[in-house]
Amino acid sequence: MLLQGFLKTVRKIYFSHNLVLWLILLVLPVGVSVFMLGLFSSQIVQHVPIGIVRQDDSYLADRLESKLRSSPVLNVKMICHDMGECEHAVIRGELQGFLVLPNDLERRALRFESPVIPVYSSGQNYLTNMFATKEIRAVLSAAGSEMFTAQMDDPVKTEIHSVGNVEGNYQGFLGLGLVTALFHLAAMIVGVYVASFPLRDHRVREMLGYARGSRFTLWFASVVPMNVILWLGMIGCYAYSHRLLAPMTLNEFVMTAAAQLFMILACSGAGIVFVGVTGVMRIATGAAGVIGSPAFAFAGQTFPVMAMPFAVRCFAFVLPLTHALKIQSMMLLGDLSMGPAWEVLKVLIGMALFWNLLGAFLMSMRWKQFARREAEFEEKMRTAPEASA
Amino acid sequence: MIRRLWKVAFAEWKLMYTDPAAVLLLVVAGVLYAFYYPTPYIHQTVTKVPVAIVDMDNTAMSRDLIRMASASQQIEVKAVYSEMMQAEEAMSRDEIYGFMAIPENMEKDIRSHRQVTVNIFTHGAYVMFHGAIGTAFSTCALTLGATNKVKQIALSKKVPSAKAIAMRDPFPLSIQTLYNSTGGYANYVVPSVLVVILQQSLIIGICVLGGSRAHRRFRKKMRNSPVENETLPYRYFGRSLAYFVHYCSFILFYHCIVYNLFDFPRRGELLPMVVFSVVFLASTINLGMVVSQVFLRRESSMQLFLYLSIPILFLANFSWPSYLIPSWMVAVSYILPSTFAVPAWLSIEQMGGDIYDVAPRLYLLAVQAVVYLALGLLLTRARDKVKLDIGDM
Repeated sequence: MLLQGFLKTVRKIYFSHNLVLWLILLVLPVGVSVFMLGLFSSQIVQHVPIGIVRQDDSYLADRLESKLRSSPVLNVKMICHDMGECEHAVIRGELQGFLVLPNDLERRALRFESPVIPVYSSGQNYLTNMFATKEIRAVLSAAGSEMFTAQMDDPVKTEIHSVGNVEGNYQGFLGLGLVTALFHLAAMIVGVYVASFPLRDHRVREMLGYARGSRFTLWFASVVPMNVILWLGMIGCYAYSHRLLAPMTLNEFVMTAAAQLFMILACSGAGIVFVGVTGVMRIATGAAGVIGSPAFAFAGQTFPVMAMPFAVRCFAFVLPLTHALKIQSMMLLGDLSMGPAWEVLKVLIGMALFWNLLGAFLMSMRWKQFARREAEFEEKMRTAPEASA
Repeated sequence: MIRRLWKVAFAEWKLMYTDPAAVLLLVVAGVLYAFYYPTPYIHQTVTKVPVAIVDMDNTAMSRDLIRMASASQQIEVKAVYSEMMQAEEAMSRDEIYGFMAIPENMEKDIRSHRQVTVNIFTHGAYVMFHGAIGTAFSTCALTLGATNKVKQIALSKKVPSAKAIAMRDPFPLSIQTLYNSTGGYANYVVPSVLVVILQQSLIIGICVLGGSRAHRRFRKKMRNSPVENETLPYRYFGRSLAYFVHYCSFILFYHCIVYNLFDFPRRGELLPMVVFSVVFLASTINLGMVVSQVFLRRESSMQLFLYLSIPILFLANFSWPSYLIPSWMVAVSYILPSTFAVPAWLSIEQMGGDIYDVAPRLYLLAVQAVVYLALGLLLTRARDKVKLDIGDM
């Protein structure tokens, strides 16, 4: 009986030509995730457009220019007549930076006067500016050391390794975080939709009817399929974005998948609480959007939580995304992080439980209230013609 | 004619301020996000990132290197270990976000003119830490190498140290950041996000209020009011005027208050700012008017556009350069005002660009505005004629 009611309610909620629900439940989160990963398909920053102001026409200046041109990271797009020309090109967005090969560069270098080469970067694009200035420094330093001390190696060489993201690709860095952030938002929006569309369409009594009058069954029929579908969608997108990184072990996979499941449960539960509090889909969706959309900015993947003000750190702690991302990044480091990751997972489990229990309680009240209202409205509609007759 | 337009605009404002969902999107979101987004980045740069050093050499030179690293502003050396495993465990516990491994026999190798490799390990999931830790440790290790190289040059070529310095680095670099002198993260991320916030909240807000269609179903009580029954051009332009004036005040608010409060570079000149505001808002409002005719329910636009905010931001050439984005995605991005508005806004406000610098992008925004205007009028006319039984629009 209970199972029949459950299955019938699931069918009515999820398979009764509800296009918008499937759009926000599956098509958009998966589609946007794949789109975002495609956006970073070139993986590393290359061909950063730069300009050169050539005030010196010497052999050394020619050599430096050709070395800069041969770098795969840089693209010498413009040779400017003066600094103003390059500066305007930076303002127009055509160049990310430029350098000046000053007058008498070669002559002064040969006289050991150490002529300074000024390098100007726009500062408006963190990533391209960082890569461009690093590469210009590397190219020019290498050229400089070849001038007088070609036979002498630098005593110290450094190698920077990104643990868990060996290639240091942008897709690895950001892709995983963005996929998680998208599903974090999706779970809130879907939670709002599933809980509120019977209220909006005045179908609470109908839904309770399918669930054989049990609010418990209606709750499970509403919540279980959406969480399972979102979770599976997220695991698929995460695996797709993870393919460029080192493969996961089974333990790491289980831990990551568990973190994602509890994040989705917590977020959908929070979405349901918004509906329980407001009772209106529009306002609850707005609230989910206001909290969920910028969550990625607070979650610590782009800008570290430790560098944020205390109040913001508290807000970041409340977001399930922060903890899910923390577990995901811990798992990049391998099995060593399993112990600390359990501690974080406990927080996520607590959040999932809290939001779902609160959501269940509030929705139970709302269903009761709306069912009564629908019954009163029906009664009024029935008695109105009789009265007028 | 003007009076009729203003009458429609006033009616739209009244509706905007009496509908809670519209207030949330068109008023609260614009103000709240302006403070909400920059707050995490208020300290602008990452300093004192917890790191460790694995000293497998344990000599005077390795201790020099540790002292140098401890003096660095970007990092804070939390521990010095003797084995790599200890550092890896600390990183797995999130106690440190990177470490430098000083190899065994470093001093001996350097003194015998053999090249030494110092390995720096950073946490692969955090791009900011990767940059800060990598730069700080590299600078220390390379400074140590440079000092030793100068000594080697001075001894082997028998030259004074000043000349040896010049021989090691014949043309030193001076790297300067033109429009973000502090290198602050907020200066780089927030201005772009503010433009996207304006666009998204305006489009969703217009959709929630039903665009310019007549007889909006959710306004049953007002169905017979003269404003709701105005002719299409008055309805369209009158409502557009309401949104235009409302969002002009937002641009002014961002320029005068938010930029001042968070100390963002504010170099915008009046003429380019005004032209930007006109074409950007015209393009966005008309796009909102077009999109609003597609939805049957008021909240559907919210559900769709909330998902699209992140890709829209990344398509605006703000973080990932457009020449690295697949060409079909670049083509898709041309339908969005933010693709041109974000770089134009940065050029004007952050970099002090003049009207000639931003003209190509403003032309494209103007073209979008005209195309969306024509489409908006056509779709509204079509929607006015259709009788729909479902939805609340």
